[in-house]
Amino acid sequence: MKTLKILHMYADMLDLYGDGGNMEIMKYRCEKRGIGCQVDRYSVGSEMPDFSAYDLIYIGGGADLEQQHISADLMKCREGIVRAYEQGTFLFLICGGYQLMGKYYRDADGNDIPGLGLFDYYTVAPSSRKLRCIGNIVVRAEIGGKKVDVVGFENHGGQTKDVKTPFGKVLCGNGNCAKSSHEGYFEKNVIATYLHGPCLAKNPEVADYMISYCVNRGSDEPVKLAELDDSLEKQCRQVMLGRLLKK
Amino acid sequence: MKRLQILIGKIIVKLLRLMHRNAGNLPGIILWHISRHKAVSMFKVDCPIIAITGTNGKTSVTNCIAQLFEKSGKNIIINREGNNLDTGICSLLLRHCDMKGRVKADLLILETDESHVPVVYSQLKLDTLVVLDFFRDQLDRNGEMETLIQKINSFCKTFEGNLILNGDDPNTARLGRANPKNRNVKYFHAEKYAFATDKIFEASEGRFCPFCGEALEYDYYQYSHIGKFRCNKCGFGDYEPYITASGIDLEKPVFTADGHTYSPKLNSIYNVYNMTAVAAVAKLYGIDHKITDSVISRYTVKNGRMENFMLCDRKATLNLAKNPVGANMTLRVMNEMKGEKELLFVLNDNVADGLDVSWIWDINFSVFERVTRVVTSGTRAYDIAVRIKCSGYAPANIVVKPDLDDAVAELASTPGRKFVIANYTAVQPTRAALKRYAAKHGGESSENA
Repeated sequence: MKTLKILHMYADMLDLYGDGGNMEIMKYRCEKRGIGCQVDRYSVGSEMPDFSAYDLIYIGGGADLEQQHISADLMKCREGIVRAYEQGTFLFLICGGYQLMGKYYRDADGNDIPGLGLFDYYTVAPSSRKLRCIGNIVVRAEIGGKKVDVVGFENHGGQTKDVKTPFGKVLCGNGNCAKSSHEGYFEKNVIATYLHGPCLAKNPEVADYMISYCVNRGSDEPVKLAELDDSLEKQCRQVMLGRLLKK
Repeated sequence: MKRLQILIGKIIVKLLRLMHRNAGNLPGIILWHISRHKAVSMFKVDCPIIAITGTNGKTSVTNCIAQLFEKSGKNIIINREGNNLDTGICSLLLRHCDMKGRVKADLLILETDESHVPVVYSQLKLDTLVVLDFFRDQLDRNGEMETLIQKINSFCKTFEGNLILNGDDPNTARLGRANPKNRNVKYFHAEKYAFATDKIFEASEGRFCPFCGEALEYDYYQYSHIGKFRCNKCGFGDYEPYITASGIDLEKPVFTADGHTYSPKLNSIYNVYNMTAVAAVAKLYGIDHKITDSVISRYTVKNGRMENFMLCDRKATLNLAKNPVGANMTLRVMNEMKGEKELLFVLNDNVADGLDVSWIWDINFSVFERVTRVVTSGTRAYDIAVRIKCSGYAPANIVVKPDLDDAVAELASTPGRKFVIANYTAVQPTRAALKRYAAKHGGESSENA
């Protein structure tokens, strides 16, 4: 079977709340099925990669300071990322990675950090750093035709507005803005979300959706992924759903 | 007005005592409200204050510094119970002040929560601030770590007292530049030890120069992002250490600082850093070297910090790990030990733990050596099980027992050496469960077990 090629961008700077764990989970779920999974890294100062050569590009979240540091570098990658996305490379974006793909991010002091402008949404941080959306969150998403209650942890100041195609409906927690009805951004080859935890830990369906997309990309005969024993993950999610949704 | 507040505070303390309640925090909370959030401004403190802050090691260092002065015959006040927020410090001072709010002592030694340093010491004059380290810890309570460092940094901008900083932690050392006029900035530093690495071993933060954004260069990493670093662009990290720990040998264990050789009881690199901070304070205040030596060489920890228990004939070592750094350290100690062992990991997500448990993904479990079985427990027993599974550990060897007594019984059901890691709110219930098991099935719970 083919080897998945993943580009993990700014792993050394954007890695909050276990975001790096998502790559560990992608590798784990590929390897259990005998699918190769190669994760390359790109960061400030690295040689410019051929973005289109990757099946998936992953960017995690970071503190404001780190986001400022990378934004100029990210702009240099704009053309390459846009082309890859248009050619079907999957974009998996968490928190800061999510925000930076929009039009701009306005920080708490009112400074605009330009985004790549790949999507129409934009993000504004409230002027008080104390106002943050923090806590466990449940998002009902439709993944591969199935409803999945995705469980994670959100912690963001930024309020993301003008999202046309959200990742899912908020069942518990805040979402794109404080107390909003929807969370994240979704296209068939984009999952952008505020969910940390890491996002994939309790939600193997999300990981498998991306693996399946990458494996079957450009193929006429889609293959079905082998089932894995996810009993620990399922019980883990069940415990949290029971606690968060019973109110 | 201030006298009235003190009177009210004293009455509350008395009432709580009459009700046989611990007056640790409540009087401070009430005064915080009636004083419009300036709970400690009503006290008059004429003696020097030493404050200790940082993510890890506050309690150890505070207790050791207190011993330095106690053994020198000084009358000190210390927040031993770890009530380290402004309200806790207010409660402490209420118990020790007269009706005019005067606090009588030779020295105040206060463990202070990182986020409360500016609020407390804008109201009380600080003689010395010791900053140990900044790691990811309870991020969702404090907002992002950067915000926290910024807060302390703004305080340091106008602070002219002694600032004792961990020179091997870029997050901490940067505070030394906050006030260029302060001539009392002192760095402590430790030379490379046997398990130091060339590459970073555990996930961490702060790998970029906070002043110019350049990647920091490291000669070596002791653990996490602690090590000899330098920014080649702006020179951040170039400083003359006030005190240096050298000749570190954790097998013995032994290290040398300021020309004196110490033989501590605890054999971790953590402890070397903590004790070097203690030695720095001793040097600054001219403590008799014999006293410093007796404090550093006798210091040991209880309360779930490398505490030993016997479960029948099976030895179990419990360690608190409230963040990845603590957990990684425990895993290192466990790995460096020969023979097979089993691990119990107890993970809670109560408010004091910081609700979010994603920090467990920054623990490097792939280093497991000769770990034959893992039991998980706590309110997030499944989260830690999934985490360990995804590091490549065989799921068949993972047993999930959310109930603590079940988990301890499971752990003790097989022979051999045991390790127990528990996070902040899990550590006391875990101790209790280990003691219950020992009481019921034989064994003992003591530091000497």
